[in-house]
This record gives sequence, structure tokens and C-alpha cells, in this order.
Amino acid sequence: MTGAVLPFFVAVPLAAAALAVVLPPRLARAVLVATPLLGTAGAVALLVEHATNPVLVHQVGAFVPGIAIPLVSDTLSAVMLTVTGLTSAVCVAYAVLGGDARLRFFPSLALMLTAGVNGALLTGDLFNLFVFVEVMLLPSYALIAMTGTWRRLGIGRLFVVVNLLTSTIFLVGVGLVYGVAGSVNMAVLADADHDDPRFVLAVAVVLLALTVKAGVVPMHGWLPRAYPATSGTVMALFSALHTKVAIYAIYRIHSVVLDGAPDWTLLALGLALLTMLVGSYGSLGEKVIRRSLSWQMVAGVGYILLGLAIGSRLGLAAGLFYMVHHILVMGSLLLAAAAIEQVYRSGQFVRISGLMRREPLLATGTALALLSLVGFPPSSGFFGKVGLVRAAADLDTPERVVVLAVVVVASIGALVAMLRLWREVFWGPSLEEMPSRGSTDTDPIDVPPGTRAPRRLVLPSTVLLVASLGLFLVPGPAWDLAVDAADGLLDVSRYAAEVTGR
Amino acid sequence: MSVLPLTVAALVAGGTYLLLQAGLVRIIFGITLLSHGANLMLLAAGVSAWRTEPLGAEGSSRSADPLPMAFVLTAIVITLAVTVLMLALARIGGDDDTYQMPDTGEDHHG
Repeated sequence: MTGAVLPFFVAVPLAAAALAVVLPPRLARAVLVATPLLGTAGAVALLVEHATNPVLVHQVGAFVPGIAIPLVSDTLSAVMLTVTGLTSAVCVAYAVLGGDARLRFFPSLALMLTAGVNGALLTGDLFNLFVFVEVMLLPSYALIAMTGTWRRLGIGRLFVVVNLLTSTIFLVGVGLVYGVAGSVNMAVLADADHDDPRFVLAVAVVLLALTVKAGVVPMHGWLPRAYPATSGTVMALFSALHTKVAIYAIYRIHSVVLDGAPDWTLLALGLALLTMLVGSYGSLGEKVIRRSLSWQMVAGVGYILLGLAIGSRLGLAAGLFYMVHHILVMGSLLLAAAAIEQVYRSGQFVRISGLMRREPLLATGTALALLSLVGFPPSSGFFGKVGLVRAAADLDTPERVVVLAVVVVASIGALVAMLRLWREVFWGPSLEEMPSRGSTDTDPIDVPPGTRAPRRLVLPSTVLLVASLGLFLVPGPAWDLAVDAADGLLDVSRYAAEVTGR
Repeated sequence: MSVLPLTVAALVAGGTYLLLQAGLVRIIFGITLLSHGANLMLLAAGVSAWRTEPLGAEGSSRSADPLPMAFVLTAIVITLAVTVLMLALARIGGDDDTYQMPDTGEDHHG
């Protein structure tokens, strides 16, 4: 396999998006599901290739290496492509089964989103990263405004303004990098003067914009407000893609461009810990399933960045493993929440109750996914947290006590918040036994007797959960891949040499 | 050459002020000003920092760098697209961002 396959990861979804506009709706929906699956298959092929050939490069337009915009794939990008591809395939499958995909242009917009994500994961150029992030965001603006409650319109404004503002900051950062170093090619920047404070400041502006997009505390406020207003399907899609692409870019830039600059490790550590705490306890104040989960998304960002802040081989690998776990589990939980909302017409704690006996499959899946989110076995979250705790314990600085304590305290917060969600939604008397039903906005809903979630709505959530359980039962291969990816981040000489052609 | 930084400063200051207003239309104006500021900054990174005008007498080694211009062109196109989208959002949502909630019969919790 050569690097010439890399542009197809962007071109195929873009072409499919164009095709989906003109195809009849049924065919467009088939294309919608088939394209991310194809992308996942391609990403798996890349993973296999990277076992022998760690870096694949394609210089777009066959310009001179170092001048051309490179598309680069290494183990990290391939892992991300595989996981985001799989998760978006499952999410769009839910959209087809649940009805969101019947909206005009939904297939095209979701496919454009996929193209942007794949491009952002593959590009080796900072300005090109900006462009692909915009390609990813533009369809998202439309997706957030076309599905969900009436709040989506006001929330769509918040989402657009926050993202456009941070994109502008990102652009300024890229301009500063170019002004200082004379290139925006990450591999060329790897050789830039890392002791030049102007260079570090310029890259810091880029990283600042990315931390806002990732939802790192204290720039997280938009995330738990914006995401729950859209539909469960779109939220699951965004949760797997948007913040994770930003975190991937932080990992990549921090490692390749700055060579893991140690000067702000303490700041990064502090932000990661704060994000974990605020996210884990933020759920406690929420009374709607998806709003409660959106805070756990923030917490997950903290855990993933903790791996980067620790910065050791084990830390990076554990952070990446946690990212894979978080994408799968969050997708599973959000699709389960979407199924509940679709069948019971509400996600509010006061309006639903006693789903455990009514929906045994959904309840079992959600229970396992919630345990995974907190970090209990049998689920992928367990190994993610074990890895992070071990990496933190290996730190030889006094902070390690704080890190370990915060991991435990944050996990307890997540446990309490998720127990509350479980108790409110799945325990309690069944809906038919509730005294007053359906008369006011805060009463339990009045369901027709025998209402059950159809199996087709439960299945997508289960698929992602099975992937997460697979990571618990057979963690070896995934862990090895995470370590490979971490090695690629620690030693960027191979990456830089392949991209610049030296 | 101090006119460029001063222009950027004025654009960013005005943009930040407008961004903090209630009402989406003002915010859109603010974003537009900010992105103009960012574009000028990009130009400054490649044109005025190192080189002279594109078609000067000093030969190709000192003529302006086309790359930042390409950056700016791309950024302008993206900002234009998003501005149009935001204007559409400002129109369909009415003034619900300032004080009014649209009356659609949906509940306020979901």
C-alpha cells in the first residue's frame, strides 16, 4: 500500500455527499451507511500496513516534500480513523433506523462531516487542519439546527459563534506560526527553534483554540449547553467526532510541533484535573438524561488530556486507549438515550421511571456502559483508568499524589451521578403504576400499554457496547496499538523524515 | 509600517465589543470584524514581515509571499459561508436570543 490511498479517505465521503443530494432518498440512506463502513475498512487496512510501515505519506499535487500539503497516516491516525469511522457508521445507522436520516440533506451533511473528520485526522499541515475542521463544522451547524427541540435554533447560534470565534483564534495562531517559522507543515515545524519564545507562543495560540473546541474546563461551558439541544443521534455523532478531533490535534501538535514541551506540563495537568472534576460532578445538577451525559463528555476530555499531561510512554498510550474507550461508550450511551427519547417522548428524569423491567436489553446495555464510564470492569473504561493511574503513579514529582487523588475523587463523582441517572430512569415503579400521568409537563408520561423500544433502535447502542466489552475481554491488541501510537508521538524523527523526504 | 498593527487592533477591539452584545446580528458584525483582523494579521505574517510588494523592482527573491494570500483567500471564503448561515439563523430564530422564547408548544425542559 502506498500513500496514494490517503486522499480517498477524504474524496470518497465528499463525492458520496454530492451523490446523496441527487440520489433517491432510499439510495442516499444506503450510501450514508456504506461510506463510513468503507472508511472503517480502509482504516483497518491502514492499521495492518502500519505494523510493517509506520508512516504513509502523500504529498498532495506531487509538489516538493516540505512545500506540498502532506496527508500523513501513522498508527495514531489509523486508530482514530477506525474508531471514528465505526462509531459514525453506527450513529448514521441509528439515524436511518430512527428516522433522522429522512430529513432532507441529512445524508449529505453527515457524509460531509465524515470527510472533514477524516481530513483533519490525516493532514500534516496546520492550515489544512484549519480547513478540514471548517469542513467538519459547516455541516454540523446545519445538523444541529435541523434536529432536536426548539432550543436548537438558539443553541445553534451559540454553537456557531463559539466555533467560529475559536476558528478565528486558530487562524491567527496559524498566521503567527507562519510568521515566526516560515512554514505550517508540522514535520518542518518539528525542526523549528523550540527555544524561541515567539514560536512557542504562536503554537500556544493554536493549542488554545483547540482546547476550546475540545471543551476543556474553563472553556467547556458551550458543550453541555449545545449538544443536548440537538437530537440524540446527532449528539452521539458529535460526541464521537468533534471534541475527539480537537483532542487528537492537541496530541499531534503537542508531540510533533513542540516535541512534548515540558514547560507547561503543570498547567496542562491542572487543566486536565479540573476538567475531570467539573465534568464528573457537573452531571449531578442535571435532570435530563442527555444533559447529564454531556457533562461526562467533558470529564472524558479531562481523562484523555491527563495522558498527554503526564507525557510518558505509558501516559500517552493510556490517554489514547481512554479516548477509544470514551468514543465507544459515549456513543453507546447516547444512542440508548436517543432510543428512550424516541419511544417515550422524553428524556426527563421526572417523566420516565421503571424502565428496567420494561426494557431489559436496553437496561442491561446502559448499566454496563455506565459502569464503563465510571471505570468498573467488565468494560473498556477499567483498563483506560488503570493505565492512567499507573502512568500517574510512575511520575517522580510531588504532583502525582494530587493526580491520583483527583482521579479517585472524580470517579466517585461520576459514580454518584451515574447511579442517580440509573435510579431515576431505570428503577422505580413502572410507568403504568404512577398515580397521575400526562396531565402536566412534569408528570410521568402517559404511554399506551405495552410500549416497548423496538429492537432496531436498541441494536446500534448494543453494537458499540459490544465493541467496548471486546476491549475489556481482549485488551491486548488495542493496548499494543495504543503503545505503538504513543511511540509514534514520542519519537517524531521517522514522521518528520518521511514527510519532508529526508 | 505601524498602520497594519493599528488596523488589526482597531478591528479586534471593535469585533470584541460587538461580540459581547445581545442580538445575533451585532454578533455577526463582530465576528466579521474579528475575521478581518485575523486576515490582516495573516497577511502581515508573510508580506510585510519579510518581503516587499509582489511586483516590485527588487526581483523575485524579495517579492511578496503568495502563501499567506492563499491562506487569507481560503479564510475569507469560509467566513463568508458561515456569515451567510448565521444571518439565516438570525432570521429564522427571530429575536429569541434577546428576550423572547418562540411559542411552539414544546416544553421548556427537553
